[in-house]
Amino acid sequence: MANSVDLLQGTLDLLVLRVLLPGPMHGWGISQRILQVSEDVLRVNQGSLYPSLHRLEEQGYVAAEWGESENGRKAKFYSLTKPGRKRLDQETADWERLSSAVQRILRTA
Amino acid sequence: MRTIDRLKRRFFSLVHKGDKERQMNDELRFHLEMEEERQRGLGKGGDEARRAAAVAFGGVEDVKEACRDARGTRLFEDLAQDVKYGLRSLRRSPGFAAVVILTLGLGIGANTAMFSVVNTVLLRPLPYAEGGDLMVLRQSAPGSGVADIGISPPEVVDFRSQAESLEGVAEYHSMTFTLLGGPEPRRVQTGVVSASYFSLLGIAPVLGRDFRAEDEQHGADAVLLLSHEFWTKDFGGDPAVVGRRFEMNDRVHTVIGVLPPIPRYPDENDVFMPTVACPFRSRQSVVEDRRARMLQAFARKKPGVTLDAARAEVAMVAERLRRQHKEAYSEQALGYRADLLPLREELVRRARPTFLLLLGTVAFVLLIACANTANLMVARMAGREKELALRASLGAGRGRLMRQLLTESTLLAVAGGAFGLLLAFLASGLLATFVSRLTPRASEMRLDAAVFAFTLGLSVLTGIVAGSLPGLPSWRRLAEALQDGGRSGSGATRNRLRSALVVSQLALSFVLLMGAALTLRSFAKLRAVDAGFRPERVLTAEVHLNWSRYLTAEHRLDTDRALAFHENLKARLESLPGVVSASPAWTFPLNSSFNNNGTFRIEGRTYASDDALPRGEARGAGAEYFDAIGVPVLRGRKFDARDRAGAAFVVLISQGLARRHFGDQDPIGQRLTTGGQNYATIVGVVGDVRNASLDQEPKDTIYLSFLQFPGFSCQYFVRTLGDPRLLERQFAEAVHSLDAQTALHGVRTLEDVRDAALGSTRLTSALLGAFALLALAITAAGLSGLIAYSVSQRTHEIGIRMALGAAPRRVLRMVLGHGLRSVAQGLALGTAAALALARLVSGLLFGVAPTDLLCFVGSGALLLVVATVACLLPARRAVAIDPQIALRSL
Repeated sequence: MANSVDLLQGTLDLLVLRVLLPGPMHGWGISQRILQVSEDVLRVNQGSLYPSLHRLEEQGYVAAEWGESENGRKAKFYSLTKPGRKRLDQETADWERLSSAVQRILRTA
Repeated sequence: MRTIDRLKRRFFSLVHKGDKERQMNDELRFHLEMEEERQRGLGKGGDEARRAAAVAFGGVEDVKEACRDARGTRLFEDLAQDVKYGLRSLRRSPGFAAVVILTLGLGIGANTAMFSVVNTVLLRPLPYAEGGDLMVLRQSAPGSGVADIGISPPEVVDFRSQAESLEGVAEYHSMTFTLLGGPEPRRVQTGVVSASYFSLLGIAPVLGRDFRAEDEQHGADAVLLLSHEFWTKDFGGDPAVVGRRFEMNDRVHTVIGVLPPIPRYPDENDVFMPTVACPFRSRQSVVEDRRARMLQAFARKKPGVTLDAARAEVAMVAERLRRQHKEAYSEQALGYRADLLPLREELVRRARPTFLLLLGTVAFVLLIACANTANLMVARMAGREKELALRASLGAGRGRLMRQLLTESTLLAVAGGAFGLLLAFLASGLLATFVSRLTPRASEMRLDAAVFAFTLGLSVLTGIVAGSLPGLPSWRRLAEALQDGGRSGSGATRNRLRSALVVSQLALSFVLLMGAALTLRSFAKLRAVDAGFRPERVLTAEVHLNWSRYLTAEHRLDTDRALAFHENLKARLESLPGVVSASPAWTFPLNSSFNNNGTFRIEGRTYASDDALPRGEARGAGAEYFDAIGVPVLRGRKFDARDRAGAAFVVLISQGLARRHFGDQDPIGQRLTTGGQNYATIVGVVGDVRNASLDQEPKDTIYLSFLQFPGFSCQYFVRTLGDPRLLERQFAEAVHSLDAQTALHGVRTLEDVRDAALGSTRLTSALLGAFALLALAITAAGLSGLIAYSVSQRTHEIGIRMALGAAPRRVLRMVLGHGLRSVAQGLALGTAAALALARLVSGLLFGVAPTDLLCFVGSGALLLVVATVACLLPARRAVAIDPQIALRSL
């Protein structure tokens, strides 16, 4: 975990929503996907991931369903709901604005 | 919508809590298995892979907790758990629970009871539609000291037509008539009102119909509305009473309806009639007489108008009337004026200070009970440190522990509240009797939703306050508690807190004792007041002639026939065995509602103006009146049979009047007049009597001879040798044998009359005394507990002292000293508080200053004695400590 980065809660929510965009996925898959795409930089702690998933479910941004995993086991699959999609758009836009602002400062200030 | 969905989901997840938990376990297990598989893929063996997966995952329970938190059902689950745990913990200490429930129950019950009174009387709107706009329209004459001079029929008409800010004006007066047609003549208190009276108040009959405008036309058939109380009591609530016909005042009266239960204000009326049905009010001479101020008036303010504007307009109309009709407002000195008073305030004016005092008292009692509970909890905490430490080490947060403690104390307080509610329910009948002496709104009292809500809210609040006062021990303490195997050491902070709680209990108790002592002393003083008459062994009752049978052709009282009746009745009563003397009079002494103040002139004296005329009260009395009620005739003679209608007018004057207006002169033989042209000769001087109330100095009184001024109604007094109550039946028989249509009302002894005048003071002081004793008992228990606790903590120290040769007396003094220090602090604080609060009660006291030294010393001494006893009990245990055992157990 030496090279992992701690994620703020709001950021984790954003990543989870984004990862779910292509299709339903279970918790393990989500954590692996984030790790993989971030090239091992973002290692998501389960203690944050599952509460985040449950909170997003509670708030109605994701829906959960039990299904069969790729290796034939019972797993809980999460998928984006319509409000979730809207929230993702909103948060992505916010994030881009924020990061470009931070970059501008880092480059020029 | 979203919020509702969320709540629904939350509720759903609570209902399916087991499901959710299982699903969460499945989900996390799946994750672990996948991780394990991944580790194996990295080339690790079975056990090694599992271990690596577990390490990578972290604390499973922590993740679960965090998930539960995220789902938001945590609070409910915790609460349920806390309650379950709290109940179990309390079951383990039933004694503690019982004591707390009992003390809090008494405290909360007292508050519930008083709140039900205050809620009904002071908070709830009047049971009239838009009661806030209802006003009493009152004419007063501040110059004469009369707060209410009444209002006359023409004045009612004028205010109704001229005051634009009023929606309506209705008049009211009350008379006693005799209702015939029932099993026996029934004297009925009759409210005589405008046809619009009930619609003005916003009251509709529960049966039948309201008065209509045509009922008030001259010559209309006489109709009656029955009060709810009269209907249920005399007619058993029979709906068939509507339409029934009765004879009253020589006319047929038809019942047209029954009123709902409403405050019995201004009088306890049995029936109501429109103005034209009243034989007096409907006389042309009265209808036109602007000085016939026999009425009360009620008005409804127009909704948009402010009270100030309406009052200003009423005052203006009054001023205009005074200028237009100078002859009717001639007594300039009276300073005639008219004003509006909100009906709501009028109804509770007398009750408010008493109720607020009692409410303050019960609040103090609850504070004391609360402090006592907190104290017990602090003591209990000492024994629980280990348990709390254990829970903390298992991961319970500080907030979680606190919540647990608060849940426990709230459970106790709610149980106490339930007990208190039961007490309040049991006491409600008694309380209603008390309240009815102070306000006509007593009949509305009930334990309703507001009272339940209040009790629940108060219980929860009490629980939270009592539970949070002790506070949580510090983490360090908890850690120590876990380490040193549970010997609960003495936290100095805790002892200070306990002492502070006991000191505040003592201070509050002292304030309550002081309040009780002051009201008790007032009561004693009031009771000891010499009212000027001897109330023992006197029977008294109102006697109401059926006036229509005693009329002359000119519709005046037929004096001859009335006098014949009274002379016969007196003779019959005096012939009864055991009767010493019997006499009629206009009314009874200590009658606060009889007001016959006026001016008089003494013959041969000149007065600068009407302003300078002396004032006095005129009362009619029979020949034996003074003997019957025991008022001494100091000079001259009393009335006798010669002083009857037709003979020269004579009067007796009270001692005060003689002293004030005749000084050293002999008043006998002088003449005075009370307004008219006829001068009456003063034939005697009698002792002063407190005719209005016990707490008012006797007024200057002029007694007229009853036989010269009889009325349709009067009060009889019969002095007996033995128990006057035994004569009740014979009294009634004597009256009815002379005239079967004569109504007898309010038969009671003169001592009852006196007691009634003391009534509310007696009950107030009894209630305050009971509350103060209750508070004292709780405080004593608290103090005793504190000392017992400190003795148990210092067992070793005391053992050592005794082993080193300390005499038992020294030990006793040491322990007592500790308790008495608290008492001294409590007394000092309590004295300061009592002095600060003194001003608030001064209006309720009679003959006692709110800083009365005797009360201070007495209350202090009582508190000191009780506190010393409370300390002595545990202190004796300290003396009984065996040094050997105490030291060995070290």
